Amino acid sequence: MSDKIKTILYPFGFAVGFLIIWELAVRLFAIPVYLLPAPTAIVSVIDANLGSHMMVTLMEALIGFLLANILGFITAVIFVHSKPIEKGVFPLAIALKTTPLVALAPLLVVWMGTGYSSKVVASMLICFFPILVNSVKGLKAIEFEAWELFSTYKGTKWEIFWKLRLPTSLPYVLSALKISSSLAIVGAIVGEFVGANKGLGYVVLVSSYHMDTPVMFSAIIASAACGLLLFWSISWVEKKLIFWQRVDEV
Amino acid sequence: MTSQVIEMQAGTGQQFGGNQSSPANREIAVSLKNCSLSFGEVQVLNNVSLDIYKNEFLSILGPSGCGKSTLLRLMLELLKPSEGGEISYSSDKPSIGMVFQKPVLMPWLSAIQNIELPLGLGEKKKFTKKEAREKAEGALQLVGLQDFKNHFPHQLSGGMQQRIAIARALAADPAVLLMDEPFGALDEFTREKLNFELLRLWESPDTSLSTVVMVTHSIQESVIMSDRIVMMSPRPAGVEAIIPVPLPRPREVGMEEHPAYYQTVKELRKRVKHL
Repeated sequence: MSDKIKTILYPFGFAVGFLIIWELAVRLFAIPVYLLPAPTAIVSVIDANLGSHMMVTLMEALIGFLLANILGFITAVIFVHSKPIEKGVFPLAIALKTTPLVALAPLLVVWMGTGYSSKVVASMLICFFPILVNSVKGLKAIEFEAWELFSTYKGTKWEIFWKLRLPTSLPYVLSALKISSSLAIVGAIVGEFVGANKGLGYVVLVSSYHMDTPVMFSAIIASAACGLLLFWSISWVEKKLIFWQRVDEV
Repeated sequence: MTSQVIEMQAGTGQQFGGNQSSPANREIAVSLKNCSLSFGEVQVLNNVSLDIYKNEFLSILGPSGCGKSTLLRLMLELLKPSEGGEISYSSDKPSIGMVFQKPVLMPWLSAIQNIELPLGLGEKKKFTKKEAREKAEGALQLVGLQDFKNHFPHQLSGGMQQRIAIARALAADPAVLLMDEPFGALDEFTREKLNFELLRLWESPDTSLSTVVMVTHSIQESVIMSDRIVMMSPRPAGVEAIIPVPLPRPREVGMEEHPAYYQTVKELRKRVKHL
């Protein structure tokens, strides 16, 4: 059996085994459904309605993720080219990072209402820091000799940025994207908890009021699926884009 | 510590360097006068004066960390000497190529793209895209890696990577090539092979190369390759001695058997001990 098949088959096999044990345990011990619904009970409540809530959360997270990463990268570029701005603004960024998002989320809803925007901003807040820190690090990670090479041949500041700093920073940027891809979903769901009428966070909250545990489970699984989807997409891009670095297959 | 040119006498009294025209009437490529340099409190270079001629292969030899590399960076104008120091070039400023100890290739660029990179830098574009490609291909051919044109650095061995770096330096048709321990990170076999390859390139009429300045810490390498060897003293580095190598050109494999090779190595060893 090839290694590639194994990496797919093994986790798949274990997951199926786990689900079977779960199903059997629920039926054998007659666990009440409000405590732990069987996998089949969860599957039976998955419908188009859940799909539309999932799309809402995914879009909020995705928009927040994209905006935060664009803004974070631009901020990093400014930091790298201006020491005073870096020194002045970095502590503020750290302060923002250390403020729990859960504490900020109600404020966002007060400011922006219960629509999309408060979730997008919550998502942005949580994604902003990883990209900022990693981009600053990556943009500064150029080899000194490479800088000398560019200087020897009279490379302009723009060329040093475009042809040296930017490609050097890519591995750092991509690992920040991987980190924040799952955080983005967290941000959107926290936003939905505080005030929303759609999205997976809203479904989780409402179903908890009704003790509708199967629906709750379906929403939790859907949110995990959103995170995985984002993470895998980024990993795929990373492999294509940073072909010169061997990605550890551990 | 003042710089001085030391005339070397062989044991038999025979004058060394006899097969070269006397330096006095040769054309200067780069000239350093009274160059000193400090990094903060640490003085790196102390009053270095050195004339480097056209059509010359010069090695700079000295203990590690003595400021040999700093000397190259002065010639590249990446650093400026402190007041009183002066660096001048032959009337028309020669184009200068640089090879570092590490290949310093961009891992996201293929071999040919790496060689093209410096050709496309700077505000005034000297070459069109087509010209740059042709020059890069020519340089790749010079180092014998035309079959690896589209390979990426991580697909090439250390020796091949350094040859790409040499091709990159040659592509812009430099008159002066500065090399900072170019083969220091390579194994002995590759190193010897590239030593002679570099000499062939320097002698070849296909390259515009006239002067090579190579920093090295290998006595043998400096003797087999150079016309003159500049011995540096420990930090703050000054020119300890300039020693001509009386081996005939072209240099061949096996010249290590030559008595002149042996004597020059012995002389250099003796001086190293005195440092």
